[in-house]
Amino acid sequence: MDIVNQLLQLFPYAILGSILAGMICGFLGTFVVSQRVVFLGATLTQVAVAGVAFSFLHFINLEKFISGIFGSTEHSFFHNFEPIFYSLVFAVIVVLIFSQTYRQKVLTQDGILGIIFVVAVALRIMFIQKSPIAEVSEVESILKGDILFIGQSQFYTLLGIFIFTFGIFTVFQKQLKFVTFDADSASAHGINSRLWLLIFYIVVGMGISLTTRFVGDVFTFAYLIIPSSIGILLSKKVWQVFLIAVIVGGIIPPISIFLAFKYDFSSGPTAVVTAFVLFLIVYLYKKIKG
Amino acid sequence: MEKEIIKFNDVTIGYGKKKIIENITVSIYENDFVGIVGPNGAGKTTFLRTLLGNLKPLSGSIVKNSPRFGYVPQRDTVQPLLPYTVEDVVMMGRYSLMGVFGKPTKKDRDAVDASLSHVGIHHLKSYNYNSLSGGQRQRTLIARALAVEPSILILDEPTNGMDTPSHYSLLDLISGLHDKNKLTILLVSHLLSDVANGVKRLILMEKAFFQAGPIEEVLSAENLQKTYSSDFHVNKIDGEYIITSKHRN
Repeated sequence: MDIVNQLLQLFPYAILGSILAGMICGFLGTFVVSQRVVFLGATLTQVAVAGVAFSFLHFINLEKFISGIFGSTEHSFFHNFEPIFYSLVFAVIVVLIFSQTYRQKVLTQDGILGIIFVVAVALRIMFIQKSPIAEVSEVESILKGDILFIGQSQFYTLLGIFIFTFGIFTVFQKQLKFVTFDADSASAHGINSRLWLLIFYIVVGMGISLTTRFVGDVFTFAYLIIPSSIGILLSKKVWQVFLIAVIVGGIIPPISIFLAFKYDFSSGPTAVVTAFVLFLIVYLYKKIKG
Repeated sequence: MEKEIIKFNDVTIGYGKKKIIENITVSIYENDFVGIVGPNGAGKTTFLRTLLGNLKPLSGSIVKNSPRFGYVPQRDTVQPLLPYTVEDVVMMGRYSLMGVFGKPTKKDRDAVDASLSHVGIHHLKSYNYNSLSGGQRQRTLIARALAVEPSILILDEPTNGMDTPSHYSLLDLISGLHDKNKLTILLVSHLLSDVANGVKRLILMEKAFFQAGPIEEVLSAENLQKTYSSDFHVNKIDGEYIITSKHRN
């Protein structure tokens, strides 16, 4: 009980933020896994990190630009604006490219994602090497978010992403469901597949890049795949898959923070391993049950 | 003469700069039943995707007299991981009629029920799509296309990979949709036998060869030789076409 009280006092926003991040990833992950573009999740997390690394080069001083518009950039959100902005821009550029590739026959989608993945990793290293601010190892640690570093402004940003993501997918569920199920038929039946796939990938790209910034690439990628896979294993209806993925995504991170605190582990990897243990239990249960 | 609803004017189809078939000129009429036949890789699916507007023609023009398409894709291209029910899948056919923000109404649910009954699988309404047999899945996709209330039903290789009873039962269903419901149908197949005895008009397609017209004019040994680079006997016995390969003893 002491640990719980300490955690609630020390990291209230980290706990709430981790719940939101897990729910966002669980929800988006259901689409990513069902679209068979799991590698898109891995690629976008790396692209987002490359975007953050790019921000350290300070080619354009966005903080100065924003202060010119708003007058003041005292709020902590503005200090984090540049890395968030560039990770978002990088992710959106990649999803724009990727969303236009589903009809081409020359390369597989996995092949295209593989190329983007390695280029993102390579660019990240190159950007860090040219970064004027610190040693490579220091920058590497700053690049990747950590659950425990989620503060008030990060929490509200995550809340914004949560509302935006769930809002878009609720309002336009018909179109997004159809194009992710069978884009060619949707197009033949009067739904603009190209446009709706573009919207789908932009929302997914934004969600993944921003959660990566706040909770790290390993957490984000793991929570895109594991909760939705648990949902698919346990559900007989589509809505049940989403519900289970969102619940698992929301419940495991705070439990993991507790375990990490108690046994002195890093919170991100603990969250991943805890989710994996749950997945293993569900998988074995399904196997035994037949 | 029935009303012309689609006309290809000197159209070249292909991907990017790669031309697959050039100078296609063909019309599709109201209450038509057209079979599109050719060997694998001849460009049948490319032709369909161009017709549906998913691909732009490389040259030429396509005039469409406001048709509403009901499209049945190749079954293997629809393999969802999520547990969609048959009703979920067929309801997708109604989405374009609901408007951007619309929700399914009683009318939509009735249309889904009617489409499922039409193809004989209403009892499978709450089943998981992934748990169905190949024939049942194909019927689900046809029901989805019918739920659009189409003026043209387009079927891409609907009998691929089916056992013999399902194969003929599905062809009967498709013929019934044309005969009883007066639906215009475009049936794509690489199996000549699937279309020869059902359709009114035939399109034979191969990379350097395109022939379209009434079946009795187009279905000849000479045209089949040009399409398949192989020799065939074409005979009509008791009003039914019998097509056999000359290489077979």
